[in-house]
Order: sequence, then C-alpha cells, then structure tokens
Amino acid sequence: MEGEEGTFVPAHAAECAFCRAIVADLEALRAAAVELPLEEPSPAVWSQIRAQLVAAGAFTEKTSLWDWFRQLDLLRRPVPVATFACMVILGSLLTAPRNYPEQETTSAVTALPARTAVQSMAFVGDSAALEQVVRQLEEAFRAREGSLAPDLKATYENSLVSLDASIRECSDSLRREPGNSLAHEYLLGAYSQKVEVLSSALEFDAGR
Amino acid sequence: MADCREQETKKRGIVLYGQGLVLYVLVLSGTLLAAEGNRSERIFEAIPNPRITVTNMTGQILVRGWDKAQVHVAYSVMSPHVEVDTEVVPPNGPADKIHFATHLLDPLVSGKDQTADYSLDVPTGTCLEIRNPQGSVRIEKFQGDDASVESVGGAILVSDFTGHLFVRSIGGNIDVVRASGRVEAYSITGNLHFVSPTTSKLRGSTTSGRILFEGDFQDGGDYSLQDYSGDIEILCPSSASFELFAKTVRGKLQNEMPMTIRHRAATPISSANSLFGTHLTGKATVDLKSFSGTIRIRQR
Repeated sequence: MEGEEGTFVPAHAAECAFCRAIVADLEALRAAAVELPLEEPSPAVWSQIRAQLVAAGAFTEKTSLWDWFRQLDLLRRPVPVATFACMVILGSLLTAPRNYPEQETTSAVTALPARTAVQSMAFVGDSAALEQVVRQLEEAFRAREGSLAPDLKATYENSLVSLDASIRECSDSLRREPGNSLAHEYLLGAYSQKVEVLSSALEFDAGR
Repeated sequence: MADCREQETKKRGIVLYGQGLVLYVLVLSGTLLAAEGNRSERIFEAIPNPRITVTNMTGQILVRGWDKAQVHVAYSVMSPHVEVDTEVVPPNGPADKIHFATHLLDPLVSGKDQTADYSLDVPTGTCLEIRNPQGSVRIEKFQGDDASVESVGGAILVSDFTGHLFVRSIGGNIDVVRASGRVEAYSITGNLHFVSPTTSKLRGSTTSGRILFEGDFQDGGDYSLQDYSGDIEILCPSSASFELFAKTVRGKLQNEMPMTIRHRAATPISSANSLFGTHLTGKATVDLKSFSGTIRIRQR
C-alpha cells in the first residue's frame, strides 16, 4: 500500500491465490490506463465540480468590486455605517493638513499662537461641513431616542445640551475673536465629544 | 360579663398578632429564598494576569484584587428575564480570558428588572474591562495591568488602584482615590474627584462638571485637567513642587500659592486669563484649562 514497505504485498500474493488475482487485476488496470489517450472532460463536468466546490465553500467566486461592496450588506446596518462614515469625515476635517501662510514672528512666545490663529480661521471655513456631519448623527439619534430607557435618554440629552451650549459659546467667541486659540481648541473638543456621545447612544441602541 | 368580653378581645388580639407574625416570617423567608435563587457564585482558575470583561446594563459592579490565581464572581439578577452568560477561554485549564455578559431573555423587560449586580475578586495583574451603561462601578485595592471602565449615567469609584486606569462616564461622577500609574478620566456632565493620587501622569476632562484635585504632585509628574463651564479646584500641600500653566477664557483665576510668576497677562491674541508660574522648584507639570469656569489653586 502507499507509504508501506513494498516487500509484504508481493510476498503475500505469492502465497495467497485470492490476493494474487487482485494484484494481477490491478496491474492489468494500471497497464491499460497508461495506454489510454488523454481526454479532456466535457465543460459540463468541470462546471458541476466547480458548483459543488463553491457550494461547499472551498473557494469563492471572483466578484467585481461592486459585488464585493454589495456583499457587505451595509444597507441592513445603516446606523453604525453612517456613524463610522461621519467619524471618518470628522477625523479628516480635524486632522487634514492645510497650507497656512507663514506669519512672521518676533519671539518664541508669540510664534505658536499666531499659527493657531490662522488655523482657527481656517477651521471656521470648514465648520459648515462639520456641522452637517454632526447634524446627520443627531438626526439618527433623534429617530431612535424613543427606544432608550428614560434615565439613559435623560443622561444623553443633558450631555448634548451641555455640549451644544459650549459649541454655541465657543463659536460666538471665535466670531468676536477669530484668534482665540483656547476657544478654537474647546470648539474642536466639543464637536468631537458630541460625535462620541451620539455614537455611544446609537451604538447602545443598536446593541439592545 | 365585662371580663369575658375583655378576655375575648385579648384572645382575638393575640390570634391576630400571631397570624401577622406568621405571615411576616413567610414573606421574609420567601423574599430571601427568591433572592438566593437569583444569586450565583463561581470560582475560576486563572493565569496570573487574565483578561476579565464585564458587560452589564444596570446594577452595581464591585471589583477587588486578591493574591490568588483565581477569579471569584458572585452575581445576582433582579428578574428571571435576565441572565448572565459566562465565556471562559480556554474552556479547560486556567483561564486566559473570562467574559461575563448580562443579557435580556425578554426584550420587553425594562427599568429595574434589567438589573444585575456583580462582585468580583480578581488576581493581581488582571486586565479589566467593564461596561455598565446605567449602573455604578467600584474598584477597590487592585493592582491591575490595565483597567477600562465605561458608563453612561453611572458613578465610578476607583480606590487604591495601581496600573493604567481609563474611566469614562458621560453623566456620572468619577472618583479616583489613591491611584498610582497612568490615570485618564473623562466625563461630560459628571464631576471628577481625584484624591491623593501617586500617579505621575493624570488626564481629566469634563464639560460642565466640577474637577477637584486633592493631593500632592509627583516629581516629574504630568497633570492635565480641562473643564468647560465647571470649576477646577486644586488643593495641594505647601511642599508641592510644580510648574503651573493655567488658562481660562471667561472664567476667573484664583491662586493662593506663592508662585514665581513667569507670565501673567491676557495674551495679545486672546482675552484668556492665564497664569504661568512655578511653585518651589517646579518638578511636576500642571496644566489647567477652563473656558468659563473658575480655576482655584489653594494650599491644603
């Protein structure tokens, strides 16, 4: 047999008539198989084998990028997907490098705030897109807040009220003083926290 | 005749009293039996530094450290519609990971019926992760590797903890008492209270809560506290050696510590009140920021 020492089978076949006949048949089959011409199986055979392998999960069919995207079945989970998308957009808005005009600085003390002041003004330009991202999350939250437990809902509401107040105040400060680096920092922080709070609420709701 | 009526009345009173007593004992026994029926207790053998996660909805979670290579858990549920799942990895032998999760058997269950209370004793070096959105969490006397605690509305109290601590509660108060190792505490409307930390790296932030730091600063330590509309108060001993960076946009700055002032003025580009100074030799770095809250630095 395969992997075994070859001496046993001929020795046994020499003594046993039944096994000798089987060995002779196998030898005849092997000799005849060598003589046979190589025939390509019909396409139907290949397609049957392939279909069975696919059904058994042995390999997946090649798909286009669009087919792969559709397989993710995103439409059945719109909230986490939308949240993730919003986080990505918000992250991009907050971290994307921008080209700021360099300002002449007279001392080390004023160098950093001067640059931050320009960033603040640049940020104000992006705030419409940022607000839209947060608004989308908020709409999703409003659509689902009814399913939250009353005390949980109250906690989320209170934190959103608190964050909205800080966003309003920081925006007012920046309008009056576009160079106010601390107001700028707080505004970014408040938006980030609002996204976190809304995501937490949506995640909690989805997890129930 | 009157005596007979009086005796009859007394007898009735005694009978009624006896019946009441029996009823009370029965109700009490029933309640205790029911409570015992919803309580479970188990012990798992574990590796020296296992990972323990607890996912709950509401209720109290208490975690304590001990020096055994075992995880002891006792939990009780308020309603038969709630159960606790336990997943142990690997299923045989000392556990690398144990995950406890409360889940509802009936999705219509709400309020207090969702409650599950946990009490855990975990080995030193455990990596701990707790989520308890509507409940409180208490961690006591625990030398952990890493602990992460998250809640939405529940209070979090951590005392005598060693290791990296990350705590977040959107609306609950956070108290960290005598922590060493890195500490991060975040809230939106909750208060943050740090008592006698021996940590050398501490981050705390809340939007409308109050921050109170009571204790000394470690040499070379880095402390950053940020608030939006709440007050920040630092109460430290006269021997504290630190470099202070304090800024507020619309709030007040009140300092009672003798400082070597490096810079104190509204910056040219902002109306922020700021105080940059050194107390003693300035070994630790303390960064305090508030938008409209008051920052107070006081001597204990």
